[in-house]
Amino acid sequence: MKTKLLVTLLACLASTAAMAADSPSVGSAAPDLSLTDSKGKTHTLAQYKGKYVVLEWFNPECPFVKKHYGGGNMQKLQEEFTGKGVVWLTINSSAPGLEGHLTAEQSEKKIGEWKTKQTALLLDEDGKAGQAYGAKNTPQMFVINPEGKIVYEGAIDSKATPNAADIPNSTNYVKAALDESMGGKAVSNASTKPYGCSVKYKKA
Amino acid sequence: MVSNGMNAGRPARSAFFAAVLFLGLLCTGRAQTYEGRELVQASLLADVSAVVPGKPFTVGVLLRMVPHWHTYWKFPGDAGIPSEMNWKLPAGWKVGEIQWPIPLRLAEPGGIQIYGYHDEVLLMQEITPPASLTESTVQLGGEASWLVCEKICIPGSANLKLDLPVAAQNAPANEEIFSRYRRSLPQPWPDSKVANASWKRTSSELQLTVESAALANYPATEFYPLPGENVVAGHPKTERSADGKITFRVPIETQDRNVSALNGILVFGQSENSPERNAWSLTGAAPVATVSAPAPVLSGSIAKFLLFGFLGGFILNLMPCVLPVISLKIFGFIQHAGQDRRRILQSGLAFIAGIFAWFIGLALLLIVLKSAGREITWAFQFTNPYFVLAMSAVVLVFALNLFGVFEISLPQFANRSLLGWTAREGDAGAFFQGVFATVLATPCTAPFLGPALGFAFTQSGWMIFVMFLAIAAGMSSPYLLLSAQPAWMRVLPRPGAWMVRVKQLMGFLLMATLLFLLWVLGAERGVEAIIWASCFLLALSVACWMKGAFVGPTASFTSRLVAIALMLLLVLGSGYYFIGQKFRATKLVSASPATPAEGDWIPFTPERLASELKQGRAVFVDFTAAWCLTCKFNEATVLESSAVREAFQRRGIVKIKADWTNADPAITKILKQFGRPGVPMYVLYPGNNAEPILFPELLTQNLVLEKLETVSPQIAAE
Repeated sequence: MKTKLLVTLLACLASTAAMAADSPSVGSAAPDLSLTDSKGKTHTLAQYKGKYVVLEWFNPECPFVKKHYGGGNMQKLQEEFTGKGVVWLTINSSAPGLEGHLTAEQSEKKIGEWKTKQTALLLDEDGKAGQAYGAKNTPQMFVINPEGKIVYEGAIDSKATPNAADIPNSTNYVKAALDESMGGKAVSNASTKPYGCSVKYKKA
Repeated sequence: MVSNGMNAGRPARSAFFAAVLFLGLLCTGRAQTYEGRELVQASLLADVSAVVPGKPFTVGVLLRMVPHWHTYWKFPGDAGIPSEMNWKLPAGWKVGEIQWPIPLRLAEPGGIQIYGYHDEVLLMQEITPPASLTESTVQLGGEASWLVCEKICIPGSANLKLDLPVAAQNAPANEEIFSRYRRSLPQPWPDSKVANASWKRTSSELQLTVESAALANYPATEFYPLPGENVVAGHPKTERSADGKITFRVPIETQDRNVSALNGILVFGQSENSPERNAWSLTGAAPVATVSAPAPVLSGSIAKFLLFGFLGGFILNLMPCVLPVISLKIFGFIQHAGQDRRRILQSGLAFIAGIFAWFIGLALLLIVLKSAGREITWAFQFTNPYFVLAMSAVVLVFALNLFGVFEISLPQFANRSLLGWTAREGDAGAFFQGVFATVLATPCTAPFLGPALGFAFTQSGWMIFVMFLAIAAGMSSPYLLLSAQPAWMRVLPRPGAWMVRVKQLMGFLLMATLLFLLWVLGAERGVEAIIWASCFLLALSVACWMKGAFVGPTASFTSRLVAIALMLLLVLGSGYYFIGQKFRATKLVSASPATPAEGDWIPFTPERLASELKQGRAVFVDFTAAWCLTCKFNEATVLESSAVREAFQRRGIVKIKADWTNADPAITKILKQFGRPGVPMYVLYPGNNAEPILFPELLTQNLVLEKLETVSPQIAAE
């Protein structure tokens, strides 16, 4: 019987490995990405090794994204953590012609209008980075530690609504994850269900 | 009689454009028109012409979407949020959950999958008015809100109102639309004979296996999950195997290892998303009863639980399932009584080492399984038919040995290699007797063992380990005493010829144990399984006989070699054919096979229990298993006794039998809720949502009658 159990256990491990290809899970190494930002500069994840990195999936037309930018919630978070040395990369995976797509020029304009505070706004028109991370929502958040491991993935906060009025009464999971992880603690809510609009990928 | 209190709400088109252009206030504006079109028309309908006080009726929020746009199901999938209805009802009115029709599964580029509705959906809820109403007309209303998406997503809301007259009688209304949407509601899960569902958890996946002949004619069978709060589930992948089983593999990203099943609906039809589909609702993952289970018995220090473990281990010696084997040991002591003290102590220690070896092995196995995220429970090994089969083989071999068919002797090389171990066969024999006694003891959770193990299973791996050591120590304490103080054995009779007779008698006792094990196999796998297992056991007996007849110390080397080769051939060959082919092909008997509607006991399903409790009934649940002798003992001597039966009947207590023979995960879940690692467990729900009462594991008639007495006032108050 023990042999049978051992086989079952091995099968479990094997299936874990197979699943990892779908979307990286908490604790696994963050897939590298190489994207151009709104200023034409290329960013890779490798260059930020040794620092905390936040990835934020973005679509300026999505009501759930607007919920967090409208009242300055997202900007405040970006300002707080970039101030603490965190690299904050906002990624727009909307394909040309679809909701939320922005050219480099339009992105710069949006940054100015919305007074966003991220390290860089990256353009992912072909959706490769979004697919590598299995990002399906805007907003959808990832927190990567200095060793390049994902320590949080999921929603921005605990209230899945498009109402900005709900922000004060919700728990911000990204802030909690960064505070805990940077304080040397394990992230207590490391994986949550993201909520928002679907990422507007190009048709396959 | 239906007035559609359609209200466009705050935002108008200009507000929408302002929202898009402007940053502030973006989200308070809930645009409902887009490019000049009203995306969603919302209205409120009732299925009756008037409200009759106290009589429940159904209302529905009707959402009509423009073509290609969709709103979401209760679980939206990868993106989106479900529609909502916030009722503002007068005091005394009650409203039920939204009844969600079967949704469409919609795919978007990039592997995004959502569940929702196109064109139109009616979200029905049951409303119960108070028993007396003074008004002649009532207004029901609330705010419906939704997210509607096509290439973009726009949240919307509307204040809906519905005026209904109050009357003594009413007539059906809006029959066509209500009956159409009622047809598209998922049905309750059918009887397990029609469709049997079972869950398996791996570290990254939940696997739902459904066995149902009824689904064979539906090429499009899918599982739509309804994961609980903060359970992150992916899209189930469907696999059909040749034998008609359908397996749905649901990727789970939640770290909580306790997530062992999901709610959801099994959708089946001729083609995906066709309007002709049906669905069964699977609710095993819901907390079975909304009444709170008492907090697991976790109070008390670790030392106290270790003491319980020790006492429980001691009491294991008295359990009916282990007594036959213990008698073997007692017999051994008698045999050794004439020998010197050192020798007896040695044999006793070997026996104790066997007990410890088994418990340590079990502890390590449980720790590994626990860290792999499997549901674990005490005696879980008895839910595995191959384990029961192996036990039957061991019991048979022991019995044949006692009958004198053959003698157990260790091969020469084993003797020589066991340095330091005095290498007499008595010690090795005693060791395996220790292992054996303990293996048989595990399905009996003695009264003290329950809380102790329940405690240990919620603790770290280290704690489990220490707890098992305490149990092993408890179980072996009497043997340590007897072998350290052989003087106490003087009360035992002197050895002599009578010992051979007793030995043979013990053999029959083991044969009785074998009958019991075969019966367990039958309960798990059916009559055929017993037959094939017995064929194998027969071949095994012949091999044992050959060992006794031809492998004696007087036989020549060649004839010994030939005999051993033939024995191996016989055991392996019959094992391959009878077990590997025939036995393996036998099917798991579906839930509660041993007790198909046995007497006045109702077979357990989580839904059944929940519905009985919902109606405020008092319910007694017997958590049992075919392989649990303690359970059978309690049932025969207490629960089925005329006094107790009559007491149950007089108080109108609903009797439910939860058969854990095949480790039904829904039952495992409740055992865990009560902090118990295994069966037997007896729970009385006194009705009217009162706290459930947990009975001890060894029942007596007086105890049960007494407990029933104390709860009768509560029941009477119903």
